[in-house]
Amino acid sequence: MNPPPPFLRCRGLTKTYQKGPNRVTPLQSLDLEVAPGEFLALMGPSGSGKTTLLHCIAGIDHPSSGELWVGDSNLAALDRAQLTRWRARYCGYVFQLYHLVPILSAFENVELPLLLTKGLRRTERRERVRAALARVGLADRAHHRPAELSGGQEQRVALARAIVTDPELLVADEPTGDLDREAARQVLDLLHELARDNGKTVIMVTHDPRAAAEADRCLHLEKGRLLEANIPAEVAR
Amino acid sequence: MRSLRNLAILAGKQALRHRTRSVLTALGVAVGLFLFSTIETLQAALREATEASEEDNTLVVYRENRFCPSTSRLPQSYLDGIRAIPGVADAIPVQIAVNHCGASLDVIAFRGVPGDDLRRYNPDLTVVSGSYEAWRERPDAALVGAHFAARRGLEPGDFFAAVGLRVFVAGIVTSPHPQDENVAYVHLPFLQESTTLGVGTVTQFNVRVDDPEELDAVAARIDGRFGDGSAPTVTRPEKAFFAQTARDMVEMIAFTRWLGLGAVVGVIGLLANALLLAARSRRRECALLQTIGFPRRAVALLVLGEGLYLGMAGGALGILGSFAFLAWRRFTFGNEGLTLAFQPDPSVALAGMGVAMVLALVASLWPALEAARGSLVRSLRDG
Repeated sequence: MNPPPPFLRCRGLTKTYQKGPNRVTPLQSLDLEVAPGEFLALMGPSGSGKTTLLHCIAGIDHPSSGELWVGDSNLAALDRAQLTRWRARYCGYVFQLYHLVPILSAFENVELPLLLTKGLRRTERRERVRAALARVGLADRAHHRPAELSGGQEQRVALARAIVTDPELLVADEPTGDLDREAARQVLDLLHELARDNGKTVIMVTHDPRAAAEADRCLHLEKGRLLEANIPAEVAR
Repeated sequence: MRSLRNLAILAGKQALRHRTRSVLTALGVAVGLFLFSTIETLQAALREATEASEEDNTLVVYRENRFCPSTSRLPQSYLDGIRAIPGVADAIPVQIAVNHCGASLDVIAFRGVPGDDLRRYNPDLTVVSGSYEAWRERPDAALVGAHFAARRGLEPGDFFAAVGLRVFVAGIVTSPHPQDENVAYVHLPFLQESTTLGVGTVTQFNVRVDDPEELDAVAARIDGRFGDGSAPTVTRPEKAFFAQTARDMVEMIAFTRWLGLGAVVGVIGLLANALLLAARSRRRECALLQTIGFPRRAVALLVLGEGLYLGMAGGALGILGSFAFLAWRRFTFGNEGLTLAFQPDPSVALAGMGVAMVLALVASLWPALEAARGSLVRSLRDG
């Protein structure tokens, strides 16, 4: 039996940009395939290009050359407006520092991605927000503002915001980097469940080997190139 | 449409929940619109008093080369001659006494008219309290314009003294003509006897013509009839008379338009600055919105919407404040015995709100562009 076609496929992905007088190349001819429903961890030292790769995969940044297919879309060929529409439909993003809007309640923050969804009635929208909050265990914190939540709760709200549109792809940039161990555990469990139970493809950047060990596969990015990484068993434990 | 409504609600939340910033910004806008609205009220009153219209059918016959009521003296005996001129429908002699001939914000003007002729000559006068009969019966009685009465706190039955006269308030009158609202009508003989002019001399004649298109022709006939006498006349349409006689006041009020313009520019600057600072401090938030699927135009619309709310809130506050202030102080600007009352005008309120909205949109344009453009990656990283 043939393996399923990859959900995400990079071929010769290169990203260069100008930083002052220097030309920087964080990604160089990078090849990567991720299967649908796979939970992939990306590790690497600071400046290795992890976040740049994540931005490209999430359609926030444009590769300088190469192919980047996510599902049926070649992100490298989409313009900014098309990428915005693509993100709204297919991609959920979780930031290290949550990036919740401070004046909005948890409910309103999760509701944001649905506000511009065409044809979605208010009752249905609210139902989906409630379901997303329940999914991350924060149904009872819906009307709290970010300042009234712990870091772990804030990150779970951010996760609810990322999944409320039911995207096929979830990208998370060091989602546990600012959390204590217990809060990190909860977030990682959620990401794991979303991949395992809901078939979401999850790509997570992390510095934490314990967090990486939760993933189905871990890749190490160094000097713009990807290497398979082995997490020692004692770390994984 | 639903998306636009959701954006409008979100912009409203941004404006309402950044409370301190919004209140301070709206207050700044309110100060500018207060000034603008007050000045526009002045301008509207001036337009009402000076801009000719096709319905105008009133001439004012004044002593040639005189500008103040205290120096314009015409023989009352001219009345029969004026009435006999072809094209004249009616005429009434008027004696005017004022407390101040120069520019003033608190002008008291008495108009002495024959008791039998007032109602016939000026049917638009409506007695809202007291009675016309009470005025007819007392030689020292006055029918006081509603604006004047409110400014002085007068009611029927009161006595009040000014310009060397002590009069009994027989009634309060309103009229569609603003001038009537700012004066007190008294009996002509009473006013003549109480001032140095004496019986037989009046300040002016107000003349109504049969055909408004004949205004200038009738004026020429009147001046032709009395031009060679010892008291030559100059006759002009009522509004032209106002514009000419009170030209100092007109120029002063016209000058205030520049202050209004300054207020408008100030509002644009204040609002643009507040929104620009807000957009810059929320750069990461704007990038986040785009990351989760908001198109750039939606982010720009959010900033425009927030600006519009602040502009409208400040505008409404400023205009209401201006109207409350004018209603409270009831200023009457006067010059050479002619008065101009600053009364709140609904058309000024509508224009003011329109201006506030346009200003808000203009002031929000640049901040909206700032919020919507720029690199997502840099904004997410640097905020």
